[in-house]
Amino acid sequence: MKDFFRNNGWLILVIAVLLCAITAVASYALQGVPNPLGNVLGVVTTPVRNGISSLAGWAEGVYNYSFRYDELQAENERLKAEIAELEEDAREGEADSKENERLRELLGLRQKRRELEFESATVTARSSTNWSSTLTLNKGSSQGVAAGNCVVDAAGNLVGIIDEVGTNWSAMLTVVDANLEMGAFLSRTESIAILEGDFALMAEGKLKLTYLPENTELITGDLVLTSSMGGNYPSDLVVGSIESIHTDASGVSRYAVIQPSADLDSLLQVFIIKSFDIVE
Amino acid sequence: MTRQDFILKWLFYALSLLPVWWLDVFVLNRFTVLGVSPRLLPVAAITVAVLEGTVGGAGFGLAVGVLCDAVYYGAWGGMTLGLCLLGWGAGAASQYVLRRNFGGCLLCCAAGLSLLELCHLAFGLFTGLADLYSLLRVAVPELLWSLCFVCLLYPWFYWVRRRIIKTLRL
Repeated sequence: MKDFFRNNGWLILVIAVLLCAITAVASYALQGVPNPLGNVLGVVTTPVRNGISSLAGWAEGVYNYSFRYDELQAENERLKAEIAELEEDAREGEADSKENERLRELLGLRQKRRELEFESATVTARSSTNWSSTLTLNKGSSQGVAAGNCVVDAAGNLVGIIDEVGTNWSAMLTVVDANLEMGAFLSRTESIAILEGDFALMAEGKLKLTYLPENTELITGDLVLTSSMGGNYPSDLVVGSIESIHTDASGVSRYAVIQPSADLDSLLQVFIIKSFDIVE
Repeated sequence: MTRQDFILKWLFYALSLLPVWWLDVFVLNRFTVLGVSPRLLPVAAITVAVLEGTVGGAGFGLAVGVLCDAVYYGAWGGMTLGLCLLGWGAGAASQYVLRRNFGGCLLCCAAGLSLLELCHLAFGLFTGLADLYSLLRVAVPELLWSLCFVCLLYPWFYWVRRRIIKTLRL
């Protein structure tokens, strides 16, 4: 037996055990930071990932132009009409906010403030395992990105949270990942709850809303926003809407299934919220 | 085999792994089947182990494991040890028990991937990630979908090995 191991690469097995131990210790110690080899590989492959991402975007554009031209034209018309409506709303809103400002001054209230610092980023890779839902972005610590930063899409819907930051890349957990947990605010009922990723729902691209307030009637379509509880994340980012409400297996508590507002499957451009200053 | 031949041989294998890695990380995860994407790197490690035996299998498994731990999100070093052991085991099986052909490779891949999935299931249950049914709904399609790629990876690495033998005149 001793000779069998001696002739069959026992030294390689010993090296593997040592490397495994070093990597395990390093990943435990470097929370939010990739191990050095992972970072180097990330830095080297980021240009390749950018290229592939651009190529995929170009191919999608060509496909849409070739096969979905009429559909896109109709969508363009609809969006133009929507923009006109929104411009009118914005004009009315501007007058309202000026009035609000004057009234606040009269009553001596603090000014409401909402300042978010964005960094635009491109999605360069998607989860390469089936056990988590992650996206790799082409911005990292050299652009001021840090673990815990929120990521939103162009419409301001929450996409996920940055979890690991390399030099010129970062990995984010999407809102449906099983490890995600954050406070939520239900806009219609003005109540709070907890958003949780759920492994069983992750494959369907959905997540769970737990600790639902008692004596509150929730209905399908209720909008779920981020809450400012704990001050870790900016408030009022749209996460999604309630799709269905269930009672858990014990029959004691209820939970809701949330359909995220961000389209996680076709995201190419996102915005990282590097810092925020919100006064409610 | 001279030292130069040895280096050249493993350089060939490393280069042949590049398109497999590219497919795994950039392409196949965009086109899922039954909601899952295949795991090509473990299949590649086991396939080369079947062709090269225990020492080569363990060494290649170690290198692929390090690559997995570097590129896969949330890795903690387990793949380094796991793929080294799988490469070693598959190499030993093909050297002493099974034949070094497609059938032997398929059996080794089935056994190796099943072990990896069992580790995932055990970890998932231990950490309370989900119930067994939910974990099996990912593990089983992942295992089967990955096994389908043995049909692609075995001929690929077999062809590379033939090229190595021809080039190095072994």
